[in-house]
Order: sequence, then C-alpha cells, then structure tokens
Amino acid sequence: MPLLDVQNLRTSFHTRNGVLRAVDGISFTLDRGETLGIVGESGSGKSVSCYSLLGLIPMPPGKIEGGNAYYEDDKGKVDLLNCSEKQLRKIRGKRISMIFQDPMTCLNPYLRVSTQLMEPLLIHEKISKKDALKKAIEALEEVGIQDAPRRVNMYPHEFSGGMRQRVMIAMALINKPDILIADEPTTALDVTVQAQIMDIIKQRQRDLGTAVILITHDLGVVAGFCERINVMYAGKIVESGTADHIFKNPKHAYTIALQKSIPSLQGKGKELYTIPGMPPVLVGARRGCAFAARSDLPHTPEEAAMDGVFKEIEPGHCVELHPATVVNYKQYL
Amino acid sequence: MEDYLVIEDLKTYFPVYKGMIRKKQVATVKAVDGVSLSLKKGEILGLVGESGCGKTTLSRTIMQLQPATAGKVLLEGKNLCALSEKKMKAERINVQMIFQDPYASLNPRMTVYSTLSEAISTRHKNLNKKEMLSRVTELMKTIGLNPAQMKKYPHEFSGGQRQRIAIARALAPEPKLIIADEPVSALDVSIQSQILNLLLKLVREMSLTMIFISHDLSVVKYISDRIAVMYLGKIVELGDAELLMENPLHYYTKALNSAVPVPDPDVEKTRKRIVLQGDPPSPINPPKGCAFAHRSPLEHSLEDAEKEGVFKEVVSGHWVEVHPATVDDYKQYL
Repeated sequence: MPLLDVQNLRTSFHTRNGVLRAVDGISFTLDRGETLGIVGESGSGKSVSCYSLLGLIPMPPGKIEGGNAYYEDDKGKVDLLNCSEKQLRKIRGKRISMIFQDPMTCLNPYLRVSTQLMEPLLIHEKISKKDALKKAIEALEEVGIQDAPRRVNMYPHEFSGGMRQRVMIAMALINKPDILIADEPTTALDVTVQAQIMDIIKQRQRDLGTAVILITHDLGVVAGFCERINVMYAGKIVESGTADHIFKNPKHAYTIALQKSIPSLQGKGKELYTIPGMPPVLVGARRGCAFAARSDLPHTPEEAAMDGVFKEIEPGHCVELHPATVVNYKQYL
Repeated sequence: MEDYLVIEDLKTYFPVYKGMIRKKQVATVKAVDGVSLSLKKGEILGLVGESGCGKTTLSRTIMQLQPATAGKVLLEGKNLCALSEKKMKAERINVQMIFQDPYASLNPRMTVYSTLSEAISTRHKNLNKKEMLSRVTELMKTIGLNPAQMKKYPHEFSGGQRQRIAIARALAPEPKLIIADEPVSALDVSIQSQILNLLLKLVREMSLTMIFISHDLSVVKYISDRIAVMYLGKIVELGDAELLMENPLHYYTKALNSAVPVPDPDVEKTRKRIVLQGDPPSPINPPKGCAFAHRSPLEHSLEDAEKEGVFKEVVSGHWVEVHPATVDDYKQYL
C-alpha cells in the first residue's frame, strides 16, 4: 500500500472572470521513503495540488471540487480531502509537513527561532518546554547550524537566507513526519547554498526515512534528487515516470521542449530552443488538449479538440497520449 | 578593438552608523573593494557571484547611481566619477540598465506607450506625436510585442512580456552599454530562453556592449564572451567564458560550477560536488587576508590565510587570485 494515494484531485478558484481550473484531475501515489518530483511552469498547478492536500487553499475563492487523497499510517486510513479540520490538524505539521519557497516570509519575524521550533513539538506531543528546547537545539545542529545553543535564541532577521531555510527544514522535520512537501525550497537561494540545502534535505531524508515531494520548475534540481517525476502542464499531469524515463526517454512534447530550453544543454552561440506560444488560460470549460496550440506535431483541429488519454506505455512510465503530444501516438493505444 | 569601458580600482564603501542622535561611524561595508575591469566594444561580460558579493553595487556604481569611494569608471575615456550631476544625466543615456524584477521596475501607472516615449525623449527631445508613435511602434516590433498593445498597463502583461517591455525601455534611448542585472532570474525556464535569445540578438544587431549579471553559471556561460567571478567585493577570476568554465582554477569558481544542477540523472549520480562550507563572510568585518580561506577545502596554514592573494594573469587572458587557499599548487603561478 502506498503511503499517500491521490485520486482525481480537482481544485478550482472561483474568480470574477469565471472558474479557474487550477488542478484538473490529477492522480499520483507516494511510497514510504520515496522522493517524488513535481515539475512545471508557474501556474501549472503544482503548488495548488499540494496545498489542497493539506487544506491550505483559501476557501473561498478556492474550492476542492472532487477527488480523494488517502493517507495511510499505522493508525489507519484518512482521506485528507474529506476529513474534519480536527483530524487534519493532527496530521498537518506532525505526519505531513511543508517547506515553503521563501524563508524570509515564512518565519515569524517577531518570534525567536526557539519559540517557532518548539511550537510544533508543544502542539503535537506531550513534552515539557525544557525538553522541547533541547530537541530544538538538536534539530538545528542536525541541519548544520553551528553554535546552535546560542543561535536558537536569535530572531529570523539575524540569519542569512540559507540559514533561514535550514531553520525551516529543522522545523518541518522536528516531529519526524512521514511526508515532507518542499515547495521550491531553493528558488530564492544562490546556487552554492542551493547545493547545501538539497544535500541537507537528502541526508535528513535518509536518517528519518521521510518521503519527500519536491515541487520545482528547475529540471536540473529534480534530476539528481528524485526517483520519480511528475510533469505538470495546465493543471494536469502530462507525463510521469522514473528520472531515467523523463530525462532519457521523454515522450510528451512538453517534457521534451522543457529540456530543450535549458541553456546548459546547448552549444554556445546557437539560438536557444523556445516553446512557441503561451500556456493556456485555465478559466472556463476545458476544450481538448491544452498543449495542442503550442505543439509542432501535425494534428487536425478536430483532433486538438479531443482529450488526451493518460496511459502507461511501459512499466512505471505514463504519458498523456494525443496526436499533438506524442510522436506516433497510435502505437501506444 | 579599443576598450569601451574601463574600470580602475573601483571602490564603493558604505558607512555603518550607530546611535540615533550622536551618530558614530562604527564600521564600513566594503561592497566593492578594488575592482578593475575593461570591456571592448561589442563584448558581453558575464558577472557571477553569490548574493551580497557586490555585483549589483558594482553596476550601480558604474551607472553613478551610487557614488564611488575611490577609483575611476572610464566610458570612452571619460571619467564618469568626476562628472557633475547634470553632465552625468546626459551621459547616462549611453548606459542603460535592465533589472531583475519586471514587476517592480515598470511604473504600474504608466502605459507601455508612455513608459517608452519618456525613455525615447531623453535622446530625441523634439519629436512630434506622429514621429514618437512610429518610434514606439518600431521599438515594440523589435522586442517582439504587438504594437496594438501599447496603450496597456504593465499588469496586463505576463512576466516574460513585462521583461520584454523593460528591455525595450532600456533600448529606447539608444544606449551603447547595457547593464543587465539578473534579467532572467525571476522567469520560468521556457520564458528564460526566449528572453536570452532576444537579448543576444539585440546586442549583436545593435553592436551593444553588455554586462550580464547573474548567479546562474549555465546562463552566463551561454551568453557571455568573458566571465568575471566576484567574491566579497573582489574579482577572483576572470577569463574567456568557455576556457574558464572548462578549466576553472579558483576553488570558488569550481564550487560554483559544480553547484549548478545538471539535468541528467546519470551525470548527477556520478559527478563529484564541491559543496562549500558555511556562508560568505560579512563584508562589514571581513577576515584578514584571503576572504575565501575559511570556506576553502584546500589545506593551508593559519598564517597563509591571513595573507592577501595576488590577482595574476596565469595564462594569457586568464586571471586568477593566487593564494594557497584558492588554487591547487599555488606556487607554480608565482
């Protein structure tokens, strides 16, 4: 049994201009200790899908239209999307925790780091303040912050960007969760610090056996980090598979295009590949394949209005089959 | 070709004060600490470094948006640091900047037309409405936007389109030098390549000189002719873009290079990373001697660390700061 089983999750935002289908029927599973990457451009629904799981979508305007997300641990099975707020509160921060993109805005500037680190412990566990502080110091040491007993009493502004992200990681992992959702944890950081942070997440994952969902738009980061990868486009998963599938044998035109547009993979002086057109507007009813208008594969307007079929084409490698997305798609049908 | 822009031993210091009524200077932040560079006409220089290393302060000092503490900025032989405010204003038409965040750098209350026409009128003062309209139309075509959208406001455009408008605004006064400060860092990968293509095309077509600032080595490697690596206010390595990336000598450059994630699972599994320990030291009280020593994986003695490195041309056109803590087997270069 997978640790987390998400089925047909649909989240939309009811705006003045109509209903925006941010996440449009996605399904995925996550096993214990596994690392899953979710890749996509901004607005593809990668963050919204994970926020939905933890009930962090502002409602209204957001609304979870349907789907199930079964989270299973030794105490039984819970549907995260259809459980009470009380149940969810027991899971959030304890069994499933999250790191956000911007450590500058996610730490409370008025509170000492110690207060913020102890909070999840004091809420979820029967522990004295003294022991909690001891644990908080340990947690800081484990993410590589030197001089932790002194540092723990400081305020967030006294830390550098990379250190703040370490504090966030320490805080997210202090209750030894089963699942860690990392939403673009290194986008706001420098490359050298990014390497440090990814190393720390990897190492803590190994120590605790936590499953990690890494949300990012940087294909480079997922390549070295994730075992399985979901590529999202316009609120849907268009391709999923192991890192080898996605990087060595990508099938969906969007996955291929994303990789082609990375500067480091191209010769100097050559013009960089760009994906023609813009991502579709997700407001209103769905009309056929979202990628058809940007695809250079031959297809007729009637075909473009058809929906693609999400199908497993080899063990563990699923792709959305449609004339506009996969070369010679009929062979897989 | 002659040098178009020469920077000589440029220093920008910021005083740190303590106290509210009786202010007392307690320290100095040495944001830019003795930078010398030269750019040929038509050249693209990539400037790399971590946040806080002084890249942006350097570019602002070149623009004279920030007065220099010492040193010279020579644009076609004219020292910008010695110019009066008024003369500098006239000179600034030739040097334009593109900023990182197109959400913040465009005035939300001005239409594209008014943003661009204001910039055009800095060089062409007495244009009538018709001439201005045709120039704005022309400009919007060059950067790949539909001229029919010129009456729109910035919020009606996407991030990539806004960055195009910011580029158009920088090009409007027909400058000769462009300073692009992290122009693609805030954009998605797919949009990033569009903007890079556009920048490269424009620079080549208009034979502009450009300083391209970024912390992303893969982007810098792609776009620039030469690369300068900056660390704590100093240039630590400088050389031809491809040579420098293939054979970096300074350990900081090596670490930067190895920190760039490669989108290939096999390469990622096998390659060795140089992950630097700790953070860069604070520029308020920088350590004595070599600022990189305490993060360096190379062995060196404490006395060595307190010595200054020597910035030297080790191979023709390849400069590096030679110090026991920065390069392998440093004695060979002395």
